[in-house]
Amino acid sequence: MSEAIITTDRSSIDLDNCYNELTGVLDRRIFSDEAVYQEELKRIFGRAWNFICHESQIPESGNFFTNFIGEDEVIAVRDRTGAVNVLLNSCPHRGNTVCRAELGTTRSFFCSYHGWNFDLDGSLLAVPNEDAFYRNDLDKRQWGLVAARVETYKGFVFATLDPDAPKLFEYLGWVGRLGIDMMLVDGDIRFLDGVHKNRLKCNWKFAVDNLFDWYHVKVSHGSAFKVGLVTEDAMAPNDQMVILGEYGHGIGGPGLTHERQAEFDQRHAAGEGDPKWYDLHASHRTDPAIREMLGPIGFRSFGHPNIFPNLWVTHTRQMCLRIPRGPFETEIWWFNYVPADLPEAQSQQTIFRQNHIFGPAGFLEQDDGENWSHSTRGAKGTQSKMRPLNFTMGLGRDKVSNDPSGQSAIETVVNEHGQRWTYQSWKEWMQADTWEALMANHSKPPEGNV
Amino acid sequence: MGVDEQLSVQERAHLRFEAEEFLYREAELLDDRRFDEWLGLLTEDIHYWMPIRRTTQAKDVHLEFTKPGGMAFFDDDLGTLTLRVRRLSVGRAWAEDPPSRTRHLITNLRVTGVADNEMTVRCNFQLYRTRLNSEEDSWIGRREDVLRRVNGELKLARRNIFLEQTVILSQNLSSFF
Repeated sequence: MSEAIITTDRSSIDLDNCYNELTGVLDRRIFSDEAVYQEELKRIFGRAWNFICHESQIPESGNFFTNFIGEDEVIAVRDRTGAVNVLLNSCPHRGNTVCRAELGTTRSFFCSYHGWNFDLDGSLLAVPNEDAFYRNDLDKRQWGLVAARVETYKGFVFATLDPDAPKLFEYLGWVGRLGIDMMLVDGDIRFLDGVHKNRLKCNWKFAVDNLFDWYHVKVSHGSAFKVGLVTEDAMAPNDQMVILGEYGHGIGGPGLTHERQAEFDQRHAAGEGDPKWYDLHASHRTDPAIREMLGPIGFRSFGHPNIFPNLWVTHTRQMCLRIPRGPFETEIWWFNYVPADLPEAQSQQTIFRQNHIFGPAGFLEQDDGENWSHSTRGAKGTQSKMRPLNFTMGLGRDKVSNDPSGQSAIETVVNEHGQRWTYQSWKEWMQADTWEALMANHSKPPEGNV
Repeated sequence: MGVDEQLSVQERAHLRFEAEEFLYREAELLDDRRFDEWLGLLTEDIHYWMPIRRTTQAKDVHLEFTKPGGMAFFDDDLGTLTLRVRRLSVGRAWAEDPPSRTRHLITNLRVTGVADNEMTVRCNFQLYRTRLNSEEDSWIGRREDVLRRVNGELKLARRNIFLEQTVILSQNLSSFF
């Protein structure tokens, strides 16, 4: 029986001590504490570069797609100059949303309350009765929609509401960029119409935690294995690689060792040899240009990237946003894409797979929500929430290997390095009062033993 | 030509009676968790489809549902429906273990089309689910089913399911609609 109990102040969570990276022990109240949640909205979502949409979703002037930054509603819209703007969906007059649709096309955003009308760049075009009622005293230049900073990386649109955030390129770092580059190994992509959306009764961090988790696969998704939908070799190989990046980005999951890669290359060059489990992955990474783009370590990784805080990239041509809806609820959004020039028949195969693996009816994901929701329940109980959670798997037993290119990885078996890195980074985001402080005080990815 | 012009009142009443008997029995099998028997009611070429629905402006309402062949919550054939059923009996299907308690309510049923050995049946439904101690989900929507007579017995050849929800408010869709 475990005697472990959090012995610090029992009434309120202590951010400085909620996670101990030396012991891998986490105060589970971070999943249920209302004050922590409110700070997350400010310090993490309010500060980060948040994924909003892909440029192919809004190709024409006036096309828009609505999303969230934390709990704040935003509109991504392409304006008449071709630029993508991300606007806070709240009229500065009474706060009403100026766009109520998930997607569509418009010439302007017309507030349904009093008729203030905003241009596609957010500027206030006109207000009814500006002369008669406002007596021409209204300085319209001061009262546009709040425009977030917008930057794109290879077609992926990100926005931040913090003017002090670093450039997106720098924010992503090589690990975040690698996570996106992995989606481009078959060339340019286009996003498909239709985002699967549903709500889980879980804290958003349990969903993020899970993407690095290759321990749960055979248990949580046992039924999918048993009916032969997925195979153990492909879904739960022992060869694992973890790549950690600044500001909490990480990639964890299957990775080919040097030896396996050499074996694959040899078999591939000879054009013969019995198929192995990793051929499915490795066969997508034979092009020298792709290897160059992903780098000498990156091209051997087939793990799951998380672009901090909440964008999960899969290898099913899908990516998933985990949008917070309070400490006990998370909205799951699945975006789907195909290579831009993929023949129709192959697109259909991809779509079939996308519709059947993830999403609320997906063979894998049906069962995940149940677990995360019940983990969240476990963070609520008066007694249970005082017991710490165990993130010790592999702690102190692995080593970071560095490549002369600057890339580095932990090559090991199934582990919890990615989760530990996420909570360590999360803690640093929560402790920092400004971007300047976060830039000065965040951990660099570990070297040596981990 | 509409069904009311094609057929007499008696013929329509008879078809509707047959459709009701079939769909009520089908719902009963699902709620009784007799899923293998339920599979027996499906044609070999069954298509079972639930598109994604979105909130749109009134002028963009043509975008409300995703299109056939595109992204969907369900886009199943007999193979994948059979896998869904098999999954439930092999263990570790946690979304349904412990099993959900479901109730299908079917209403506003109308036969809206007849052709050869098939009829199209529209209905409204509520699928109520409760799980564990206190979890509750309710999905309301419209179905458009195609029933086909095979060797004298009706079978389900197509089911289009149009939910009213855009964001699915349940943590999964692990029930059959």
